Amino acid sequence: MTTTRRNLFKFVGGGAAGALLTPAPWRLITDAALWSENWPGIPRPARGEIRARFTHCTLCPAGCAVRARCVNGQPVSLAGVKPHPIGHGALCPWGIAGHHLPYHPARVRQGPVKEAVAAVARAIAQRGAGERVAVLDLRPGRTVSWTYRRAMAAIENGLYLTPGQPAYSIDLAAAKTVVSFGAPLLDGWGTPGNVFAARDHFRLIQIEPVETRTAALADMWLPIRPGTESVLAAALAGETTIAEAARVTGVEEEAVGAVQEAAQSGSAVVLAADPGSPLMSLNAKFGALGRTVVARRESPLPDAWKKAAPVAEMAAAPDGAIRVLLIDESLPGGYVPWSTIEPKLAANAIVVVFSSTSEGYARHAQYVLPAPVYPEAAEDIGPAIDTVAEVFRIAAPLVAPVVPVVKPGEFVAQMAGLPQGDPLRERADAIHKTGRGALLSYADGKSTPAKEVTADDFWKTLNQSGCWMDETGKKAAPSGLGRSVTRLTSHDELPLAVVVAEFNRGGLASPLMSKLERESNLRMAANRVVLSPADARANGIESGGRCLLETACGRMNVVATIDAGVPSGVVEVAGGPRMADLCGASRRARVVRA
Amino acid sequence: MIRGKIAFASGMLVALAGGWLAFPRILYQTRLQPVDFSHKVHAEKAGAKCEDCHSFRDDGTYAGIPTLDKCSGCHAAAMGTTAAEKTFIDQYVTPNREPQWLSYARQPENVYFSHVSHVKLGQVKCERCHGNEGGTGALRPYQQDPISGYSRDIWGRPVNRIGLRTEGGMKMDDCVNCHRRQGLEYSCMGCHK
Repeated sequence: MTTTRRNLFKFVGGGAAGALLTPAPWRLITDAALWSENWPGIPRPARGEIRARFTHCTLCPAGCAVRARCVNGQPVSLAGVKPHPIGHGALCPWGIAGHHLPYHPARVRQGPVKEAVAAVARAIAQRGAGERVAVLDLRPGRTVSWTYRRAMAAIENGLYLTPGQPAYSIDLAAAKTVVSFGAPLLDGWGTPGNVFAARDHFRLIQIEPVETRTAALADMWLPIRPGTESVLAAALAGETTIAEAARVTGVEEEAVGAVQEAAQSGSAVVLAADPGSPLMSLNAKFGALGRTVVARRESPLPDAWKKAAPVAEMAAAPDGAIRVLLIDESLPGGYVPWSTIEPKLAANAIVVVFSSTSEGYARHAQYVLPAPVYPEAAEDIGPAIDTVAEVFRIAAPLVAPVVPVVKPGEFVAQMAGLPQGDPLRERADAIHKTGRGALLSYADGKSTPAKEVTADDFWKTLNQSGCWMDETGKKAAPSGLGRSVTRLTSHDELPLAVVVAEFNRGGLASPLMSKLERESNLRMAANRVVLSPADARANGIESGGRCLLETACGRMNVVATIDAGVPSGVVEVAGGPRMADLCGASRRARVVRA
Repeated sequence: MIRGKIAFASGMLVALAGGWLAFPRILYQTRLQPVDFSHKVHAEKAGAKCEDCHSFRDDGTYAGIPTLDKCSGCHAAAMGTTAAEKTFIDQYVTPNREPQWLSYARQPENVYFSHVSHVKLGQVKCERCHGNEGGTGALRPYQQDPISGYSRDIWGRPVNRIGLRTEGGMKMDDCVNCHRRQGLEYSCMGCHK
């Protein structure tokens, strides 16, 4: 029998057909797919002992309790802590992906530390009479905030500045009606777990021009004409007629009447997108002060800390007077537009920023020093806007800093010559000394009166698995909420109201968050604006066309998207520091063809 | 014509034999466990239960394969006369060297499996997933797929997964099928975090 080429091909063909009837090719395909997931270079946590550790998230003021699954001490997944009475076990997408942040490719990894120390020392020594040294604390209410205040009290002409912090807390559990003027109540406002736990018990009326996620989930959404919120508020307060408000705002008279009736029925609370907005004064009209809007409570302090610089807002600083400005941008927090800061700086001012990102004030500072990111540093978290009780919780570090970092609190304390110590421990001791409140342990869900544990055990539990709470204090009415809401916005030559399309916490965000939420929900491109068809047509702008976003502070090249869901008179923009700098305080803009 | 058919059939037979008989044998690398350990002896003579050694910690996490400390608690000195125990004490307990156990059931890096929620909340027996491992007289050799890097137990013993028993595999399909049968929830984020 001779072997022909034809028979050889038939043999191979038979072999191929036979192979398909065996598990080999199918299994090799599966294995190859799995192999592709294990290529060198794909990071993988070390094998080792699996333990649970507890901490608190510092990515927003909610400070949710976190249970971290750690392999060989390395956190590999984060989850909420169910026994936590405020967080109720919830954790937002930012919090769930928080352990990725130390390794973020865009993180600031080095900075001129020695040069910054020398330049600050020189500037302080050489400053003229009346020139100020200031700290801008973007997340006031922490223990390190008190370090800044003490430091600024120790330095002549020291200033402690914040973006503004409300002096009140909102007791959502006591509210039966929530009238929200654009506050993203169901989309990142306050403590997510607390908001959703209370959601079934209150009626939500959302007043804003765009149908945001909160508006879509509200019991009633009033699509108001942009920039006319204060007129509606005046009608609710009885300072103008309902008919007049309906005419100006575009909201139907019946709807305005219904909101007024609901707000006056008791146990209502009014919220505003900006917590410092005069709209919050409506709460006084509706008798909410001391009931659903209560004075913010801060946990006890050591007596020695009482000598501290007062809290001031940037606008209160004299123009051209700040010689040294230190900005703590280590945690996502508020943002003061650069156009507000710049006039306050002296001509030869030194600006030092402690940050993990080069997107914020790092664009304007001479010295950018790498700051620790969550969960690298031991920090405490001040009370969130919806936390009524006194709380003290520490974000215990889960990993050592992966790059050389400068702790802003230590930098400022050293600069001011404050005595060395551990402020967190000092505060914990001061809280323990009062004997008030209870220590909640997350590991077993048990609550123990603080007076029944030793100071050392109190400190140990705070660092390992718990928080301190005191819910016994009496609710007090907050001060500072005025009684007039009629502060109409001028529209000048910028016809469009700027609406931030997404809730942006600032700072770094894990790229893997898009596994948890749709990419489009999380990030609108920084150079995109969304316009109504009418506004686009009026300005000759096409979808996808290049145009200029102009504000009182400057202009930016952007790409337009046309969306019928955006009402006329509104331009939707992405959040973030660049846009905040561009928009400034006025939040008005116009879009023209490039 | 007939020669062509014979050639085709021959090729097919060779492939079938290779795919069904040779392939499963060459697919896996085989390694022996570091210690000749008998679950059966420990269960029957020492009266040990699974959870005595494979325990949960106070915080709910699963300790997995016990560390040397656990073994040394009983085997600081020889308790019997077997050569296996003597070797174990000489090579590991006395020099305080941790045995490098090879885990048959180790899931890939991207999977989060909670023992506590299955065993404590779901009341799932150990045997349901691990088979009669606790009743065996000796540890079987560890077989690893060198391409994927996974243990053979993850895929299941039969290379074609035909006739696989309930406890036969630990692939995602097996997890999902079990949850479906029990009418339990399952979602991506339940295991992949």
